[in-house]
Amino acid sequence: MTTALLTMKKISKVFETEELETHALKDISFTINKGDYVSISGPSGCGKSTLLSIMGLLDVSTTGEYFIEGVNVTDLTLDQAAEVRNAKIGFIFQSFNLIDELSVFDNVALPLRYSSEKPNSKKIKQRVTQCLEQVGLSHRIAHKPNQLSGGQQQRVAIARALVAEPAILLVDEPTGNLDSKSGDLVMDVLEKLNESGTTICMVTHDPRYADMAKTKIQLLDGTILQAPLVKIAS
Amino acid sequence: MSLFTYQLKQAYSGLKQKPGFVFSVVSTMGITLGALLCVLTLNYLLLLEPLPYPEQERIFVAQHHIIDAKKETQKVAFSYPGLVELYKSRVAFEQSAMLYYSQDVITSHRNQPLVNTTYVTPELHQILASPMALGRMFEASEALNTNSPVAMLSYVTWQQAYEGRADILHLKINIRGVSYQVIGVLAENFVEPELAEIGRETQVWLPWDFNVESAESRYNFGNIQNNFHFIGQLKKSVNQSQAQQLITPLVSELWQEKFVAKFDFFQGWSVDMRVRSVKNIMLGESKSFAVMLLAGIVGLVLIACANIANLFMSRTAEKHRQMSIQAAIGATKKQLFSAMLAETSLLMLMAIIFALVIAKTGFYLMQQYLGALLPRVNELSLNLITFGSALLITAILALFFAKLTTNMINYRGLNTTLQSSGKGSGLQVSKKTRQILIASQVALATLLVFANISLLKNAMRTINAPIGFSTNNISTLVLNLSSTQAYSQEDAIPTMAEIMTKLEALPQVESVAQGNSPLGGFGIKALTKSTGNKKYTPYFKRVDQRYFNMIEQPLLQGENFTIIDRRDNNNKMIVNQAFAQQLKADGAVIGMLLPSIGEPDFKIVGIVKDITIPGDTAFGSDDTAASVPRVYAPSGLSGRSFMLKFKPGQSVSRQQLAALLAKIDSRYSVFSFNKISDNLNQRLFTEITTAIATAMLALITFLLAGIGLYGILSYSTQMRRLELGTRMAVGAKRHDLTLMIIKDNVNPIVLGVLLSLITLVSGYFFFIDALSFYITSQLIPMFAVTIFLISSLSLLVCYLPLRKIINLPAINSLRGTE
Repeated sequence: MTTALLTMKKISKVFETEELETHALKDISFTINKGDYVSISGPSGCGKSTLLSIMGLLDVSTTGEYFIEGVNVTDLTLDQAAEVRNAKIGFIFQSFNLIDELSVFDNVALPLRYSSEKPNSKKIKQRVTQCLEQVGLSHRIAHKPNQLSGGQQQRVAIARALVAEPAILLVDEPTGNLDSKSGDLVMDVLEKLNESGTTICMVTHDPRYADMAKTKIQLLDGTILQAPLVKIAS
Repeated sequence: MSLFTYQLKQAYSGLKQKPGFVFSVVSTMGITLGALLCVLTLNYLLLLEPLPYPEQERIFVAQHHIIDAKKETQKVAFSYPGLVELYKSRVAFEQSAMLYYSQDVITSHRNQPLVNTTYVTPELHQILASPMALGRMFEASEALNTNSPVAMLSYVTWQQAYEGRADILHLKINIRGVSYQVIGVLAENFVEPELAEIGRETQVWLPWDFNVESAESRYNFGNIQNNFHFIGQLKKSVNQSQAQQLITPLVSELWQEKFVAKFDFFQGWSVDMRVRSVKNIMLGESKSFAVMLLAGIVGLVLIACANIANLFMSRTAEKHRQMSIQAAIGATKKQLFSAMLAETSLLMLMAIIFALVIAKTGFYLMQQYLGALLPRVNELSLNLITFGSALLITAILALFFAKLTTNMINYRGLNTTLQSSGKGSGLQVSKKTRQILIASQVALATLLVFANISLLKNAMRTINAPIGFSTNNISTLVLNLSSTQAYSQEDAIPTMAEIMTKLEALPQVESVAQGNSPLGGFGIKALTKSTGNKKYTPYFKRVDQRYFNMIEQPLLQGENFTIIDRRDNNNKMIVNQAFAQQLKADGAVIGMLLPSIGEPDFKIVGIVKDITIPGDTAFGSDDTAASVPRVYAPSGLSGRSFMLKFKPGQSVSRQQLAALLAKIDSRYSVFSFNKISDNLNQRLFTEITTAIATAMLALITFLLAGIGLYGILSYSTQMRRLELGTRMAVGAKRHDLTLMIIKDNVNPIVLGVLLSLITLVSGYFFFIDALSFYITSQLIPMFAVTIFLISSLSLLVCYLPLRKIINLPAINSLRGTE
């Protein structure tokens, strides 16, 4: 039986300036179930990243409703949104967004430091090590991000996204800043994660990587071009 | 067109696009450098510039120190005959002059103005080579004992009181019943040596012979007043200490013979002559004041420089891409520096022009408001020193800012900036540099705010000290007698009685007392305790029976004087608490007899509460906190000073009083008519000025430090925008980020506070003598308050730039940097 993890109902986003009103998203509705691997694709400026930001509670919609695990999260305060993000969502950015001054260990541990559960140091160490092993970087634990290659940095970012055991990973153009070899390596990691039960929603404009998802959403000018296509497992 | 000219043009057009940046730099540097130029010029004038007199290094002032039996200086003032004898002796001095400072009314003038007069011997203006606008200076025909009634006017008096009339030398002026022929007007650029008090300018110069001392007092060695002065040009063969050794025995032996020998009270007393350069006398304590002012302003300039350095660094970060393009098309590192120098030079040039305007305004304000506090301020003007300093400061600051910003640029890295399309590789001010800036801002601000708060508190303590008497609606009226004829005290009594009656009859007047303001009129009385022969020198004043009631000075024990006491010259005395306790520890002194010199014993009949007059210290003491012993005796009936208490909200004009006097006796005119509260404020002028100046300086420092810290932290927070967005994305709440930013900045803030503490402690040990007066245990809470203020300010400016980030959805921080 499929369980709805994330549901969006008629989500719209309008950006307003003094002179201009831009409708970035129009009446977006869809559901992501537990264990899904969803790709969102479309041309530049179609609203992919905006949609991902709203899904990740980094931004708020102008209208519509948004549920995570059945809980309405549309009108949360900034701090409540931060708490939900910390507990339920793991983010992977195109340019990694690692903090240069922190070591790989501290970068990965960051979500646990902000967790309301306040895990102890031992638990943090155990969990960080486990995640770095998962992405094949346990030997780089004491390095600084600028001592790593782009592919390695993105894998550290994946470990950071996983460390708080989120319900879903939101991935924004994970290979955008990587060469194809490193990109493939990162995509392999994501695929393995999904195979082990991690729900993933990924924004990409690369059709090769979009095809790797089980469910594909295509956006054009802020609307879903077609109903989510479900890939049939071969 | 040379490259630098081209770069100047480019810098100009670039700056036109950034009016906010230009305004911040020019206004901040303009104001602070203006203050610096102003104070630098003042310091040069006071410390280095010679006085405008020929051979000024040979001009000295002789001071007459009266030393008591305990070898302590009791008073620095000449006796009248002692001064004249020294003048006549010509010992040690090639030329010398006597001065007698006074105030008089020009009765021949239609407005009867009260003017500062100085009675002098002719050598004064010869020593000073005083420049004349018209006529001549005093000469041998106006020397001692010639009684030649002539006068010289100051340039301002000629212009203001006589509208610069061309026939001034044909005019006679009348003062105290003597008609003086005007023989000269001093030039506008004449600088008067300020020997008695700073800011006093003589308006009318008169020959020595006409000073107001009576024939009897001119031979009285007990007639010791601090308005007698001696100035002279030392003989070339005599130095300062030799002069002291030569004149001391001469004056001291004469005083011993003519005065000390006659009174047991003064046995063991002597005179010690001190010779000090006229420059030293004129500058007094202003030198340290000027240096302290300079230190304060230098601190402000440093804070301003730190602020502007931060602005320049932000601007360099902003221009990084532009510089990368220049490097890509072949600009050398030197050429990039030159372009930066063109911009900093242009900005500093604008700032210094503004600074010169500020300095000029500062000179005007100092001349208007600090003339009574600082000597020579009338000589302040934009001069070579000001322009030279301005030029030097401009060059140094332009080079400093250009060098600082060029050092931020990694020339080799400029090319990679273009290659990476600027993504994530923008030029940043290093964390170390930011922390150094924060620490230095905090240290400087803490030092300056602490110094200013301490000075402010000191001044406020004096201003707010209870004076112990009322000044509400009370004015003093002093009459001038325009007659050269002998006029006995008995003759004056009925006239004064009539004047009092007429004054009391005025509808505006509530009551009238005959006597001086409680702020003045005190002399010194030599008294001996009848039991034990202990000697005392309390302040002494004669008052009438209404005096204490009028000024609301409480009579604590005993009785007041009566009109009969005044009429019969009864030797009764009312003493204050401080003196009562000096006489007897329990203060029970009513009925005690106090022998005095040449008078019947005084009998103490009452004790009044102590009063505090700002600036007064006990005779022979420097302790301003100690209560001053005072004694009061009944005044006679012929005094020409009155106190008028007006009904609430009412007063009379000087003209009304002049008209009233004219009806009673035309020989009397108004000498002075002032509110006591105004006189009190004049006495507190230094403290009030200090309080305002230090409060302003503390506020400006605080604001500048706040702006500077905000600039640094705002820049630093902006640089961390992506990091903050990322932290928010992984679940950081607002308080997590606020705490993080505060924790990150605590170290440089604490370092700054520690630096200021170390500087203060070092300063204390190095300048312990100069600072010991100011160092009290009360400074500890002051320092705690300063640290609290600066820390609160620092924490506030940590939060302010952050709030723009944390109070918006995380995407705002991630967007644009992604």
